[in-house]
Amino acid sequence: MGRVKLPIGPQHPALKEPENFTITLDGEQVVDVDIRIGYTHRGIEKLMESRTYTQNLYLVERICGICSYAHVVNFTQNVEDVLGIQIPKRAEYIRTLFLELERLHSHFLWLGVAGHEIGFDTLFMYTWQDREVVQDLLEMISGNRVNYAMNTIGGVRRDINEEHRKKVLEGMDYLEKRTAYYKEVAVNEKTILARTENVGILKPKVALKYSAVGPTVRASGITVDIRKDDPYASYRETPFEVITTDTCDVLGRVVVRVLEIFESIKIIRYLMEHLPSGEIVVKVPRKIPEGESISHTEAPRGEDFHYLRSNGTEKPERYKVRTPTMANLPAIAEMLKGAYLADVPIVVAAIDPCMGCMDRVLLLKQDSDKAGEIIDGDQLRAYGIKWYAERGWKA
Amino acid sequence: MTTTEELISQVLQGLPVQVKRDRRIFIAVPRDDLIKTVNILSSELNINHLSTITARDTGKEIEILYHFLLNGVVITIRTMCPKDDPTIDSIVRIFPGAVLYERELNDILGVVPKGHPDLRRLVLPDDWVGGYPLRKDWKPPQESEE
Repeated sequence: MGRVKLPIGPQHPALKEPENFTITLDGEQVVDVDIRIGYTHRGIEKLMESRTYTQNLYLVERICGICSYAHVVNFTQNVEDVLGIQIPKRAEYIRTLFLELERLHSHFLWLGVAGHEIGFDTLFMYTWQDREVVQDLLEMISGNRVNYAMNTIGGVRRDINEEHRKKVLEGMDYLEKRTAYYKEVAVNEKTILARTENVGILKPKVALKYSAVGPTVRASGITVDIRKDDPYASYRETPFEVITTDTCDVLGRVVVRVLEIFESIKIIRYLMEHLPSGEIVVKVPRKIPEGESISHTEAPRGEDFHYLRSNGTEKPERYKVRTPTMANLPAIAEMLKGAYLADVPIVVAAIDPCMGCMDRVLLLKQDSDKAGEIIDGDQLRAYGIKWYAERGWKA
Repeated sequence: MTTTEELISQVLQGLPVQVKRDRRIFIAVPRDDLIKTVNILSSELNINHLSTITARDTGKEIEILYHFLLNGVVITIRTMCPKDDPTIDSIVRIFPGAVLYERELNDILGVVPKGHPDLRRLVLPDDWVGGYPLRKDWKPPQESEE
């Protein structure tokens, strides 16, 4: 049988980066992958040039629905850098708290998605239920479950009171227990091991070659974490470990994220116990001087990179955003080469992509001259589970 | 100064280096020296991470910024290309991670990376004919008044 080309994707209206993978198959195995993105290009960078800095604060937050806060922290850090101002210590701690709460809910969400992709829906139900604990904490402090609108140029907009502090610590106790259970499950449960061990291999050399970021490279044994390397907010004084594994497979990416949840809990406890008193915001001028600034943060998915060029007016001259998913796309192509078609959903999910292409997968069988059979993402997922079930895998 | 920054200043001696603040270094080079400079970063500093490429319309020219990362230090190479000859040497051979960023550059600002293996559109639709949206003379189509 000849090689078959499968277009996977492209579109999902709700997410930032729906994309298209054209996968070339030889029998069951992937031999080549071609990526096409841009299906929901919204022109935010252009739009930002015609909005004031205050308006942009809220526009930037809407780049992503999951790691919205990483973007808004980058934006405020850039503007504060150009202004040359230092925000109050308490504001730095509150920003760090939100960055870590965001990482928690993102990693719980991811763990559920990974479980779902391999047909382990119990895990999906469990983690998404636990994620609600984080969402409730976010809502309690900011009033919002997503897009918290916490930041302003010069600090944060809402303070934390004693009750918030107590509730956050209680939440961490609960989540720590739950995560201990997930850790047990992730490394011992045979059904997970069978689907993730030695799947989607990304060797360290290849990860570096394609400038991949975040948990994806840390699972290939590379110690890179912007929080440690280029500390921002209050990370310089907050103790935590950078988690790495050297298994280079999907299992490694599961383990890295589960262990990162423990580190986030540790960070949040530290913040809540050492929260400095004082102001949460400093007053800043409305006009931003001419200048340029680079800010990058360790978002849940990896390095989130922003560049600001200001021209002395109340609107930016140029604003550039590079999200972690974009950085990891070339690496996905490498991970998929040699993989089985049944592994495609979990390998793509393993970079925690910020896009919804897997919701609408098209699979065209080329060996018929008719239009071919078209199946969607759910059917491909079912196919993956069945394919493994026939080989003795059982959820 | 950290040891990484010492190392960088040693290697980059003689180049027009500007240190904006801690861990933010800019190097301005003419367009013809881009590959040479990128090679120095890659072979002498062993940098292996390209964060992204930013480009900006400055009027007559397009400013292109290559952001590299080494142990938390962001090293940015700044170069210019005139709008009437918007080409630049591709760095994909040295940094394969640049493949999508250079496609984006070509797509939204019309800067052609010479020697890039695959210059299809990246973010704009395949049948886009409306020019280069991130250039300053590009205005979004106005919505009709009705």
